Amino acid sequence: MKLRKIAWRNIRRNTRRSILSMSAVAIAAMAFVFLFSMIEGMKQDVAYNLQTFVTGEVRIRHSEFEKYKHLNPLHLGVDNYTALAERLESMEAVRTISPRIKFPTAIYKEGSTYRAQGQGVDFEREAEYQGLEEYVVKGRMPRNGQNEVLVATGLAKEMNLDIGDNFTLLTQTRGRGMNAITFKITGLSHYQFDGLNNSFFQAPLDRVQYFLRMDNSVSEILIKLKENYSAEEFAAGLNSSLTDWGRPQLEARMWKDISQTYSFVVMADAIYFIIALMFFLLGSTVIINTMMMTIFERRKEIGTINAMGMTGPEIVRLFFLEAFFIAAIGSFVGVLAGIGITYPTSIYGLNFSAAMEGVDMEVSQILRPVLNFKSTLFVFLYSTFIASVASFIPSRKSAKIKPVEALRAI
Amino acid sequence: MHTAHKKTLLLIGILLSVSMLSSLPLFAISAEEIIRKLEENQVHETARSEGKMIINDRFGEKVTTFKSWAEGEEKTLIEFTSRQERGQKILRTDDEIYLYFPDAAEVIRLQGAALRDSVLGSDMSYEDMTGGKGLLDSYRATLLGTEKIDGQECYKIELKAKGRGVPYPREILWVDSEIFVTRRVHMFSLSEKLLKEMRIEEYRSLKGKTFPVRFIIEDKMKRNSSTEFVIESIEIGVDIPSSRFSLEELTW
Repeated sequence: MKLRKIAWRNIRRNTRRSILSMSAVAIAAMAFVFLFSMIEGMKQDVAYNLQTFVTGEVRIRHSEFEKYKHLNPLHLGVDNYTALAERLESMEAVRTISPRIKFPTAIYKEGSTYRAQGQGVDFEREAEYQGLEEYVVKGRMPRNGQNEVLVATGLAKEMNLDIGDNFTLLTQTRGRGMNAITFKITGLSHYQFDGLNNSFFQAPLDRVQYFLRMDNSVSEILIKLKENYSAEEFAAGLNSSLTDWGRPQLEARMWKDISQTYSFVVMADAIYFIIALMFFLLGSTVIINTMMMTIFERRKEIGTINAMGMTGPEIVRLFFLEAFFIAAIGSFVGVLAGIGITYPTSIYGLNFSAAMEGVDMEVSQILRPVLNFKSTLFVFLYSTFIASVASFIPSRKSAKIKPVEALRAI
Repeated sequence: MHTAHKKTLLLIGILLSVSMLSSLPLFAISAEEIIRKLEENQVHETARSEGKMIINDRFGEKVTTFKSWAEGEEKTLIEFTSRQERGQKILRTDDEIYLYFPDAAEVIRLQGAALRDSVLGSDMSYEDMTGGKGLLDSYRATLLGTEKIDGQECYKIELKAKGRGVPYPREILWVDSEIFVTRRVHMFSLSEKLLKEMRIEEYRSLKGKTFPVRFIIEDKMKRNSSTEFVIESIEIGVDIPSSRFSLEELTW
């Protein structure tokens, strides 16, 4: 108790110096509260984008599709998908499903050729599955059964297309032949990540099935689950069910196993922990420096209290406590400042559209940091711990000061 | 009409079809003369044929049937008749390729990189169907010697492109020294890589001409892939209205 009082009094002796030491830790803590919130925001953003637009929480495909993906193997599809869709929709864990056909295509317009990625979707289902209407920035959603198409703004701009225009696309059919069809543009879409804003369009599933000669097949079914259901467990169970339903050629995979983007974000998260360690060590050098100066300045005092009977370990504890208080206060202030920065940016978001332009990853152009209690607490404890431990070196030095040598200076 | 056949077949992917006028002693003629005989043999006014294309790749076998019409060297129309492709047409006039699809509101004129796309997933590209000029207009021919192909003595002729307007900068032809038909063709890239091989498996004689009716093309850039063309029926010297090769009629 006495040591704590002395330590606190010593901190207040030179307020400016103490504040400087605290600031170094505070700035590091603030930066990392914000950065970890950004990473958390990015993780949630990528998870949503993947689950909604790319992989679903669980995706069903032909088990060989991935192997021949580069050859556009439409014949390796989910046959008689309507029967499977009915079974899936009757499952307790399933919230909604999205049968889709993805196909690369060449678009012809006035003698020019453009490469694009097409997607056949059931627009009635997609209104619920991806909240598609929210992304229609001009015109309206196409209607099932009609040769209508929803074109991404990037593609429309590149081809100088607008609502009411026609375009003809040519692509490989399921039977590995060719076919072309003309669609009329009824709407323009703009998504939150660039991958879907360039060279992308969506057409009614039934019309795509017709011109790709797919009969009642789709290339994949994406599944979103109700809350509290694990995608991993559901996928494992579904694989057994698919075999029981006489569809052993199909395979259900959870989203984290499919996309590399999420793995990159998780990896970035781990790398940030290491970077954070470096930053806190860097911040700690200020504390170490302060402590060393303090010890040097207070050699006489140390000699006196040592002569008065204070033991070496007690002197180490005194200086360690000083460093600990500086680190704890600095961390606390830094965390508060980090929360202060994160909160408004989580509402308004940070626009990375210029930086993300042309980046083919499922990361939104506007990112919103998400404050995470665990990572915020971690930053506080981590920075306090690192700074305190770092101060242990000069603190130990104080114990080695001989009273006679210290008092000789009097 | 050899070239007409060539187009007929070319439309399906063949570069050469040949019939023979006479047999000459080996080395008694130059490479140019061999090519000329090959091409003379091909000159027919018109031809109409029906056939099928059997595509084999890693995913199995696919059969596509077609009808075709050809006039002179540079006009060919193919109409596909198999269920999946019924009504689709490819029109070649001069050096232009047009595609017609019943569900498309416009006729697609292929150009640029699109010409290198495969015709219905086969081993033949649209580009293989272009180049209506005589071989000697586009290539410099050199007689490399003789070799036996399928037990037949053949002239081995190297063709090197004079300019850029041909699909392959270098080709090697094996021409039967007796009946003046192509037995085998190798097509190479600029870097001397073998891109395609064509093997003629069966011939037929009609009105004094001999021409291939079954041949196989292999795209060496694809694994386990080959396309067999079979001409099941053919008429030469038939009446074909020239409007058949017009864009207007293409969409009818």
